[in-house]
Amino acid sequence: MANFDQLSAAQIAAGVRAGDFSATEVARASLDAVDAREPQVQAFLEVSADLALKAAERTDQARARGEELGPLAGVPCAFKDNMHLVGTHTTCASRMLENYESTFTATCVQRMLDAGATPIGKANMDEFAFGSSTESSAFHRTNNPWDTTRVPGGSSGGSAAAVASGEVTVSLGSDTGGSIRQPASLCGVVGMKPTYGAVSRYGVVAFGSSLDQVGPFGRRVEDVALAMNALVSPGRDPFDSTSQDCPIDFLEHLEDPIAGKRVGIVPQLMEVQGLTDEVRDAVNGAARALEDQGAQVVEVDLPNIASAISAYYVIAPCEAFSNLARFDGVRYGYQEQGCATLAEQTSLSRAHGFGEEAKRRQMLGAYLLSSGVYDTYYYPAQQVRTLITQDYERAYEKCDVILMPAAPRTAFKFGELSDPTQMYASDMFTISNNIVGNGGVSVPLGLGRDSGLPVSAQLQGPAFRDRMLLQFARSIERAYDASGIVAPDFAGKGGDLA
Amino acid sequence: MRSLQEVLQDWEAVIGLEVHTELTTLETKMFCNCKLSHDDEPNTNVCPVCLGMPGALPVPNKKAIQSIVMAGLATNCQIQKHSMFYRKHYFYPDMAKNFQTTQGPVAFCMYGHLDLEVSGEGASERPDGVETGTDTVAAHDVAAPVTVRKAEDGSYTVPIRILRIHMEEDAAKMVHVGGEEGRIADATESLIDYNRCGTPLIELVTEPDLRTPEEARLFMEKLQQTFRTLGISDCSLESGSMRCDGNVSLRRRGTRELGTKTELKNINSFKSLHDGLEYEIRRQAEVLEEGGIIYQETRHWEPSRKRTVVMRVKETADDYRLFPDPDLAPFDLSDEFIDDCRARIPELPDAKRDRYIASYGLKRADAAQIAGDPVTAGFFEEAADGVDARVVPTIANVMVNLVPAFDALTPAQVRSISTLLASDAITFAQAREVLEAVNGTQDDPERVVDERGMRQVTDTGALEPIVDEVLDRCQDQVQQYHDGNKKVVGYLVGQCMKASKGKGNPKLFNQLLRQKLEA
Amino acid sequence: MPLSQKDVAGIADYARIALTGDELQEMTAYMNEAVELLKPITEYDLDGVEPTFHPIGDLSNVMGGDVVDASVRALPIDVALKNAGSSEGRYFRVPSILGTEEGDR
Repeated sequence: MANFDQLSAAQIAAGVRAGDFSATEVARASLDAVDAREPQVQAFLEVSADLALKAAERTDQARARGEELGPLAGVPCAFKDNMHLVGTHTTCASRMLENYESTFTATCVQRMLDAGATPIGKANMDEFAFGSSTESSAFHRTNNPWDTTRVPGGSSGGSAAAVASGEVTVSLGSDTGGSIRQPASLCGVVGMKPTYGAVSRYGVVAFGSSLDQVGPFGRRVEDVALAMNALVSPGRDPFDSTSQDCPIDFLEHLEDPIAGKRVGIVPQLMEVQGLTDEVRDAVNGAARALEDQGAQVVEVDLPNIASAISAYYVIAPCEAFSNLARFDGVRYGYQEQGCATLAEQTSLSRAHGFGEEAKRRQMLGAYLLSSGVYDTYYYPAQQVRTLITQDYERAYEKCDVILMPAAPRTAFKFGELSDPTQMYASDMFTISNNIVGNGGVSVPLGLGRDSGLPVSAQLQGPAFRDRMLLQFARSIERAYDASGIVAPDFAGKGGDLA
Repeated sequence: MRSLQEVLQDWEAVIGLEVHTELTTLETKMFCNCKLSHDDEPNTNVCPVCLGMPGALPVPNKKAIQSIVMAGLATNCQIQKHSMFYRKHYFYPDMAKNFQTTQGPVAFCMYGHLDLEVSGEGASERPDGVETGTDTVAAHDVAAPVTVRKAEDGSYTVPIRILRIHMEEDAAKMVHVGGEEGRIADATESLIDYNRCGTPLIELVTEPDLRTPEEARLFMEKLQQTFRTLGISDCSLESGSMRCDGNVSLRRRGTRELGTKTELKNINSFKSLHDGLEYEIRRQAEVLEEGGIIYQETRHWEPSRKRTVVMRVKETADDYRLFPDPDLAPFDLSDEFIDDCRARIPELPDAKRDRYIASYGLKRADAAQIAGDPVTAGFFEEAADGVDARVVPTIANVMVNLVPAFDALTPAQVRSISTLLASDAITFAQAREVLEAVNGTQDDPERVVDERGMRQVTDTGALEPIVDEVLDRCQDQVQQYHDGNKKVVGYLVGQCMKASKGKGNPKLFNQLLRQKLEA
Repeated sequence: MPLSQKDVAGIADYARIALTGDELQEMTAYMNEAVELLKPITEYDLDGVEPTFHPIGDLSNVMGGDVVDASVRALPIDVALKNAGSSEGRYFRVPSILGTEEGDR
């Protein structure tokens, strides 16, 4: 029988439903693949074999009782380690939370489980999601399955690598400035950041509360659509004030043709410094592929887009400082021992619990929010946010979606980008969408002409038009015949369905 | 130190209050669905949200927002349709997130006022002829102008402006262990109970319009009455569900520039508020008169030693890194929402007092006292329901002077005893005795009066022979009366009472005696 | 004007992040570089532009009911305390709070 890594999420759910194989068999196959592939990939911080087998057993028992199974029945799934799941640790890849046991389960995780998904484990990430390479994880690096000497991108690098290596079928990541779309691009998988508010943030450790959004990874657009259906059902989460009802069903129009629709290209973005030729050419190729399917390509302007990075690096550190203030070593988290006073305990717990980048961002945020400085940077940054939002609104009068790169270049080597400010530039195509809150998806375009590594296009759309984004993504996927590809070094390694 | 009256002849005290009130009548906390704790075991009512667990998110309690809007409407505030929650950061473990969710420059309620009526001894704290100017703080031009209206008897009415009332969350309770008397300074460790953390809290800030400790006390009293009437809090200063900080500075009479203020904390009774402010005013006057300097500092009132001590010197303004909370959507209150809140507001104490005066002819002081407390007012109205209008002032009199001594009287019992009193069937002293007998029972006072044969004889025909007998017996006193000593009637009434074995009505004896003596 | 080490030490003190001498020097350099990167924000003409504190703008008045959900989210005492570095009985425990200022609230 086939290796489970060749099956789509829908095929797994259908197979479990039909009795072709059990959820337990799929779970064992996934755990087996994890065993075989993890030594080279290192996508996981924790493999939750017991939880996985118990969940799969429940699915099988439900089937035996004749119950209707969920749309993700038996589908192996990984969760970024900033998402709570009772029975696992949630470390955010930080010493600060090394021993933190989840006290509740995040809404996004629960909804995947409710849809029948099998929780394989918790995926590596940049510490507290600060980074674009997963190198700032306090525990270990994660290797890009396409070239293990290279980074998987970040911050959701583990989630992207676990899917690209075929260890799991789908995974969840979070995207604050590109943390789903950029690693998806570097690992050659589909990664979606839905519109802000579409997916509940309850139970996901916050980085930038007005920027963070949870979304799925998959090797197929269809798998991502299936996961999106689970994440937005049955409607807004009453535990997240910023959560909103999101239109479903993501599968319904997935195969509809895009003929007659308009694809926007921002010429300014195709010329930015740091964008490699192979990526630019590949994205232009994607535009032609959409044209071939009857879409119209139009030029649109986002005049204030260059300021998105500055606005982001004001807003994100401020929100990060505020969100991470709670890690004081009192109620949870690393606690320095032997301190005479609370002030000493707090300062040393935070100094020794947080990694460098986490400290940098909090320090910057604490400075930018201080009185006087707030008016110089924070308030104007939020005004610039308005300008960028208006730019997008005007652009979407002329087009349905905007096509651009997801990352300026393919996966880089470990340690290659060591200067933090240089690293920030790797998010230049993704950040603006977090600033305005709209949805975006990165779709593989095959391997780069020069690097031989995965290259992706990014599609951005207006608020809550995420279904249409996936419809476009599916059109690209179809043109590139890029559906379901596992990184070749790992495809079929362990994971056969007995 | 000189007395308050002396000090206030030379100095004007400028007082502002910050009042925190927990919305104790709600079921749940401000941003989560944990039960509001009263006497629960430590850390019983906690969840990821109020423990500030990573990944938890706040959802505002609708009833809390309704409550603060009601509080604003009841204190003549302008309800701000558009406002937001902000995060106020400081590292202290009683705030689980190390920031407090509160409001920014715009609060739900802004620019209100309460009118104070100051009379009696308290009014004398404010020297005659001194008017509060309208220029104290020009923070809002829309509130009532600050002018004092004085009456002949020295009492006066003054509006106290309210700058804002904002919504926020309360902190956890900390127990300091290892030190003497739980004092922070010597404690070797502290224990934290997050039950209170996240309790809905409204903070009211007045303009510095108060001028005397008595005004401050009356303001707090009126605020307590108003909030209790609204039913949004039990407003207990003792238990800390209502807390008050006072800011006070002095300036020479006739000058306008504000002096350096100190902040007074640990005020847990109306008396502490009055006495703490009085002490602080007298202390500041002494320092200033000796050429000293007042430092901007927080001072702790020690009621047992009747003094304030320094808690903390504020050298620079605290920087709390305030910014709008991204986890909480902004508010854009609709007219419907505000109108709905308005419709939930019951009759407020001032209106109730005026109605009692107009419809029942109550004395102003009695009416104000009864109307001030919603439980008392409800009791009174039930007792007065369907009663002859002439009896109602007696009910009010009983409510004010007799009822507070008992804990378990029913409105029906008060109605019954008041009816007996109004018809002169018993004396006030007898009424007290009867109430003692029926307190905590369902017994009708009238039955007790009859059982004990207390009912006084009010039939003049039966009393006249006794009066005649006494006048006949006490010729000396009769002569004294005719010589101008009218007070001697009291003695004669006493003789009549004795002769009637206490059954005669003293008021009637008095009348009959006077009639006969003048005849 | 660039931030001095003293400025950065003050921020670190407020943010409760202990820094060694070397770390302070490094942090100061980083912060000055980062702030320089933010300059474009200060160069905009933003007169009359409303800020966007919350993306996806038209969301407002989100509130929940005043209903106890003890069975859904309240944490049993062992769960509430299980991640705490130090506890005593039913309480969380901290060392002496001497030198720690309570906020003004």
